[in-house]
Amino acid sequence: MTATTQRAASRTKAKERARFEPRIVAFCCNWCSYAGADLAGTSRMQMPPNIRIIRVNCTGRIDPSFILDALYEGADGVLVSGCHPGDCHYTSGNLRMRSRYVLLKRLLEQAGIEPERVHLQWASAAEGDVFAQGVTDMVERIRRLGPNPVRRRR
Amino acid sequence: MTDERVIRVEPVTRLEGHGELTIRLGTDGKVRAVQFNVSSTRFFEKFLEGRYAEEAPRIAPRICGICPEPHHLASVKAVEAAWGVHPPAPAVKLRRLLINAKQYSSHALHFFALAAPDFLAGPLGEPAKRNVVAIIKALPDVGKMALQVMQFGQELAAAVGGKAIHPVTAVPGGMMNPFSEEKRDEFLKRAEQAMEWTERTLDLAKKVVEDYWDVVTKFAVVPTYYLGMHNKGALEIYDGKLRVMSPEGEVVEDFNPKDYRKYYGEYVPDHSYATHIYYRPVGYPEGIWRANSLARINVADRMATPRAQEALEEMRERLGRPIHATFAYHWARVIELVQALEEITVLLEDPDIVSTDVKLSDVEPRRGEGVGCVEAPRGTLVHNYWTDERGIITKANLVVATNNNIAGIEKSLLQAARQVFEEHAHESFSLPRPMIP
Amino acid sequence: MTKRAAFAQLSSCWGCDQSLVDLHLKLLDVLPELEIVYWPAVVDYKLKDLENLPDRSIHFGFVEGSCRTREDEHLLRTMRAKSKVLVAWGSCSCYGGVQGLANQWTLKELLERKFLKAETITDGRIPDENVPGFKEDIRPNPDVVPFDVLLPGCPPTSDNTAEALSALLAGQPFDLPEKTVCDQCPKVREEKHIKVVHRTHEGKVDPERCLLDQGYLCLGFATIGMCGAQCPSVNTPCKGCFGPPPGIKDHGAKIISALGAIAEMSPEELKEAFPDPLGSFYFTDYAASYLSRLVGHTKEEEQ
Ligand code: SF4
Ligand code: SF4
Ligand code: SF4
Ligand code: FES
Repeated sequence: MTATTQRAASRTKAKERARFEPRIVAFCCNWCSYAGADLAGTSRMQMPPNIRIIRVNCTGRIDPSFILDALYEGADGVLVSGCHPGDCHYTSGNLRMRSRYVLLKRLLEQAGIEPERVHLQWASAAEGDVFAQGVTDMVERIRRLGPNPVRRRR
Repeated sequence: MTDERVIRVEPVTRLEGHGELTIRLGTDGKVRAVQFNVSSTRFFEKFLEGRYAEEAPRIAPRICGICPEPHHLASVKAVEAAWGVHPPAPAVKLRRLLINAKQYSSHALHFFALAAPDFLAGPLGEPAKRNVVAIIKALPDVGKMALQVMQFGQELAAAVGGKAIHPVTAVPGGMMNPFSEEKRDEFLKRAEQAMEWTERTLDLAKKVVEDYWDVVTKFAVVPTYYLGMHNKGALEIYDGKLRVMSPEGEVVEDFNPKDYRKYYGEYVPDHSYATHIYYRPVGYPEGIWRANSLARINVADRMATPRAQEALEEMRERLGRPIHATFAYHWARVIELVQALEEITVLLEDPDIVSTDVKLSDVEPRRGEGVGCVEAPRGTLVHNYWTDERGIITKANLVVATNNNIAGIEKSLLQAARQVFEEHAHESFSLPRPMIP
Repeated sequence: MTKRAAFAQLSSCWGCDQSLVDLHLKLLDVLPELEIVYWPAVVDYKLKDLENLPDRSIHFGFVEGSCRTREDEHLLRTMRAKSKVLVAWGSCSCYGGVQGLANQWTLKELLERKFLKAETITDGRIPDENVPGFKEDIRPNPDVVPFDVLLPGCPPTSDNTAEALSALLAGQPFDLPEKTVCDQCPKVREEKHIKVVHRTHEGKVDPERCLLDQGYLCLGFATIGMCGAQCPSVNTPCKGCFGPPPGIKDHGAKIISALGAIAEMSPEELKEAFPDPLGSFYFTDYAASYLSRLVGHTKEEEQ
């Protein structure tokens, strides 16, 4: 590539990025974050529309392959939202999730995929605002990273 | 060029690995070039990076499924050298048992399945007949013996290494699993029977050499340097010094494997993914060397065991030292087969072999560089790793056995092609009647 | 009546081949049933001979190894066309094999390390004459052409191959078992509470007890049980070389999932314990993972 074409290419990239609307899959625990999301919705808090919520019984039920599958199917980011440590309905489901999350992030990094595409947060049923802020941050984070490579290609 | 004829042999068969042969002939009928095109490589030296060094002995065997034991052991030795670890003596004996078991089965496989078909069915036999499957059908006695010889070596390797293909027990600091008395007794008994087969194999090899005397002494005779391991002059395959012998038969180098980079050059040809290893001080192509059985036999003053020594003396009487005849590799291989079995017997008789003191429990990873060197059936094998303070591999350099021979193989093929296409020498060779009609 | 069989090797170590030969005397029962029409390790037929066979004229085609080069891919497609039943023979063929770990880097980085920067190289260049050229990435063979039978293992044991062969000869299906290596393992197991992860060289293994219970990363729980628990039987952790049981889409994800359930360790300790999750969790099947496929797309894009 010559310098000019390179510049042109990076300009198109920047434009693409500005137009880019991240698609995010959120796995939410039924007992806390899902209710929190609901609360955020009913109290009309500002929340970006880029998110598809999947309700799970507990974050401990999320198999890491769900997250990888979501990325593989084209999600630009995956947010996992669960009860605060100590508040899990099944005692330690969320701690299991946290261990899996740590290993998964390390794996993403080693494979050459931005680990920030996957994020874990805690938000109780009363914390509609925390949930909404989490989603906003996630969208921002992914906007900076750009589209999922799979989607860029399709 | 259009005025050339190109002969492609695709793939080269009865060889473990991926290769093609390209021969370019001019319109004058002269051989312009012969290329041995090794057509694949899998980049182990790169993907070992970032892994725990103690796992390298599990990964590295996959470089070669025919000879995984030498890779397993060169790898573990490299890690131990990098970390400054010295395994207990009984563990070393177990490893020697493992590598000799492999030497035994691999040489048998090579002799019976890869080489013998040419001699038993005749080099001009039909493809459908010129293979070990056909031998098994036509000469069931030889076939059955061949299978049993291989079986003995493979099963012994599995007994020590956990699996014969891609062994698992060697770990920095020793061996994960001791050898049981039951197994020792079983294999000692089987070794007696194996000696009988081995003697018969030696006789068969000698007969083949006699029958094909013309081919052996006149065809593809190429002087090169030779590289091989020895221990105080005796042929050695697990741990020793490396010797380089000149084509004139002079020992020009005798060095500790950890210094291999001073003596090894790696030339990258345009036409092969396998590099050509050569004797660096002399340069390429002058310094082309060969490794493997014949090279070891050339550089060693003697065999390490008595029966093999007798066999060596007989060979030297007939062919001298050094021997440049490519076909003499087969004879050399069988002499090593004898040594491997004798070493196996000595090791099995050693009470240490069933010792449970086979592994240190206080091995500490550290930053370092280590070289692990053993003799694989196909030649000298070097693994060289660099590790960080956690014992993670940061860099690896591998010089696999076969690459020591590629340039030499090409030289032999060029010589053979000239003899066939230019001199038609093969027409005047006297060939025996094939044993498989 | 004998059946026509072919054994083809893509980029591989030939261990699957050796494991067939390791049937030893049992070969005498198997071989008479087969007419071998291609097997470069043993028989002198050339690629042309294979290419000249009529389509679907081989009863059983066994493919060992994976596509590292373009020549490999050609051979794979040829084998598919010529074979009625195509068998992915070994973990290289089923999942990409150990060389799939190279997918962590770009082809350029691999070539540089091997041909330009290796310590012993005196005059580096990337070979390009009469050699086939490399593929950017390793992919599992079933991503390239459809297969009829999967026979994983690195290598499959001799008995595994014999069983598959005799099922094929009898015209029966060959299905993979649901069980794991743990189901075949003789070690005594307890409730799992992993508080520390030991590296293989550390300490001394108690030969009676489950290695995972002792803190060694033994992957028997996430690995298909076909080998008879060869490694744990000699006090060595299973590295998962046969890949996961059927139905598990991603070996590493399965392992991470299980570790999450049994590791009683802080996030920091866990991170510390697994500096190389990719190498540790996908020994022979990284190319078949979600991540490798994802990254493969990025690489293609950058080309
Ligand atoms: S599956 Fe394993 S044994 Fe078979 S060819 Fe691949 S690396 Fe070798
Ligand atoms: S984890 Fe390993 S040692 Fe434990 S039962 Fe499973 S295979 Fe056996
Ligand atoms: S125990 Fe595990 S690593 Fe060992 S052969 Fe079986 S599947 Fe492979
Ligand atoms: S119940 Fe909410 S994370 Fe377990």
